[in-house]
Amino acid sequence: MNGVSATRSTQVVRLVLAVIAVPAGLYAASLLLEAGSGNWLHLGIWLAGGVLIHDGVIAPVSVALGIASMTVLPVPWRLPATVGLICWGSITLFSIPVLGRFGALPDNPTLLDRPYFTSWLALTALTVLLVGVVGLVRSRRS
Amino acid sequence: MCSGRILVPHPPTVLAVKPATLLDRLPKVEDFSYRLRGPQVTSRVGRWLGVAFAVAFLTGVWSHLQQDTPGWLSVPTRPVRLYQVTQGLHIIAGTVAVPLLLVKLWSVFPRFFQRPPRPGRALLVHLLERLSIGVLMAAAIFQLVTGLANSSQWYPWSFSFRSTHYAVAWVAITALIVHVAVKLPVIRAALGVPVEAAVPPDGVEEPREHEGETRSGGLTRRGLLRTTWVAAGLAALATAGASVPVLRNVSLFAVRSGEGPQGLPVNRSADAAGVVGIADDPDWRLEVTYQGESRTYDRDELMAMPQSTHVLPIACVEGWSATATWTGVRMADLVTAMGAPAASDVLVTSMQRFGAFGASLLPEDHTADPLTLLALQVNGMTLNLDHGYPCRIIAPNRPGVWQTKWVQRLEIDA
Repeated sequence: MNGVSATRSTQVVRLVLAVIAVPAGLYAASLLLEAGSGNWLHLGIWLAGGVLIHDGVIAPVSVALGIASMTVLPVPWRLPATVGLICWGSITLFSIPVLGRFGALPDNPTLLDRPYFTSWLALTALTVLLVGVVGLVRSRRS
Repeated sequence: MCSGRILVPHPPTVLAVKPATLLDRLPKVEDFSYRLRGPQVTSRVGRWLGVAFAVAFLTGVWSHLQQDTPGWLSVPTRPVRLYQVTQGLHIIAGTVAVPLLLVKLWSVFPRFFQRPPRPGRALLVHLLERLSIGVLMAAAIFQLVTGLANSSQWYPWSFSFRSTHYAVAWVAITALIVHVAVKLPVIRAALGVPVEAAVPPDGVEEPREHEGETRSGGLTRRGLLRTTWVAAGLAALATAGASVPVLRNVSLFAVRSGEGPQGLPVNRSADAAGVVGIADDPDWRLEVTYQGESRTYDRDELMAMPQSTHVLPIACVEGWSATATWTGVRMADLVTAMGAPAASDVLVTSMQRFGAFGASLLPEDHTADPLTLLALQVNGMTLNLDHGYPCRIIAPNRPGVWQTKWVQRLEIDA
C-alpha cells in the first residue's frame, strides 16, 4: 500500500475498523434507500454536484491562484497574500447562505437579522489592508 | 532518414498520436509540487478534519435520538443545557470543517490526475479506491452544504432535510472509516516523523527555512498548517455566537443576533403557523384530559394557579439557542390535579395549522420534572403571540421543536 508496509498493529486496527464499518455501511445503505426513494435524481444531483463543483471549479481555481501567486507576485507579498486568501476564501464560502439571505422570511425578522453583506465588505477590506501592510513592511525590509 | 516521413505522412500514425497528445496535455501527478502537497500536510489536517466529522456525527446522532426517541431510550432531563451544548457543537464542528476540508482536498488534488494502471488486479484496486474516495467526498461536501443551508433555513432541494442529512451522515462516517483503514500505513508514517521530513515513496524533504516561509516566499508545510488552524478558528468565531452567547458581538456571520420580541428570537411565527385570530381568541380554553375525563382552564384560571419561575434555554436543531426566564404552571401540577401520577406521558397538541411538529409527546420524566412548565410569561411579560401565547411548553433538555407553542390540549396517558 503506497510503498509503506502494513505492520501487524495496522492490521489489528484495520480489523477493528472493518468490524465497525460493515454494520454502519449496511445501516447507511438502508437509510439512503429509504431517504432517496422517489427522489433519486434530485438527491443524486446534490450528491454528485458538490464533487463536480469542487473538482471542476474550486480546485482548478485554487491551483491557478497558487501558480499565479508564486510567479506574478513579488517575493515579499507571496506569504501574506496566500494566508489572506485561505482565511478570506473559506469564510466567504461558508457564508454564502447568510450573504444571499436565501432563507429569510418576511414574517420573521429575528432570522438572518445581521448586516451580513456589510460585514463581508469589512472582512474583505480588512484582509486587503492586512495583506497590504504586511506586504509593504516586508518589501521595505528586504 | 526522416525525409520519407516528412514528405509522405502516414494517416494511421496521426490518428494514433492524437488521443495520446490529448491525454498528455492533462496535468500529471508529477507536475504538482510535493513540497506542500504530501502526506505530512494531508494527514495533519485530516486528523482534525476527522475529529470535526466525528463530533458532528456523534452530536448529530444524539440530536436524532432526542428528536425521534426510540422506546428503549429515556432522554434525561439533566443537564438542563445538554441539547444546547450538543447541537451548538454540531454546527461549530461542521463550520470548522469547511476550511479543513478545503485545505485537505487541495493537498491531495494531484491524485485526481493519477493514470489508471493496466487492466488487472491493480486496476481493480485503483477503481475501488477511486470509488471510495468519490463516495467520501460526495457525502462530506453534501453534509457541510446541506447543514449550513439548513442552519439559515434555506431549503433549495425537494428531499426531506432531516432524513437525508441523517442517512448521508452514516454514508460519510462509513466512507471515512474505510478511508482511514486504507490509508493507515501512510497516516502513521507521516504523523510519526517531523512535518519537514520526507515520507516515502514519493515524499519530498522540506528544507528548513525561517519561520513558516520558504526562500521563494511561499508557505512552508508548518506555515500552511498554521494558516489552516487560523482559518478554522476564524470560522468558529464568525458563526458560533448563535449558540455561544459570549461570542454574539464577534460572530458577524451568525444566523441570528439573539434579539427578538421580549429578548428572544422566533423560529416559527404565529403568522407562519396560521394561529393569528385563533390563539389570541378570548374564548380560548386549555383542555386537559385523563381516562375519559376532561377539564378546561381559561388563561386567568391558569394565572391563578401556583406559578413557578425558571431560567431555561430554547435550543434549536439549527444550532441557535437563547436563554430566557419563564413563568407558568408546573406541568406536574396540571397532571396531578386530574388525579394522574406526576410521571405520566402527556400528548401536547398545538393550535398551529401549518408546518411540522404540531404535537409533541412529553415523556414521563419531563412531565414530573419541577422545571417543566406550561409557560404563560417570558422575561416577566405576557408571552408574545410569536412566542406561543396563550401558553407554551418549556422543559429542560428538549429540542426546540418539541417546546410546543400555542397549546390547545394536554392528553395525559399514565
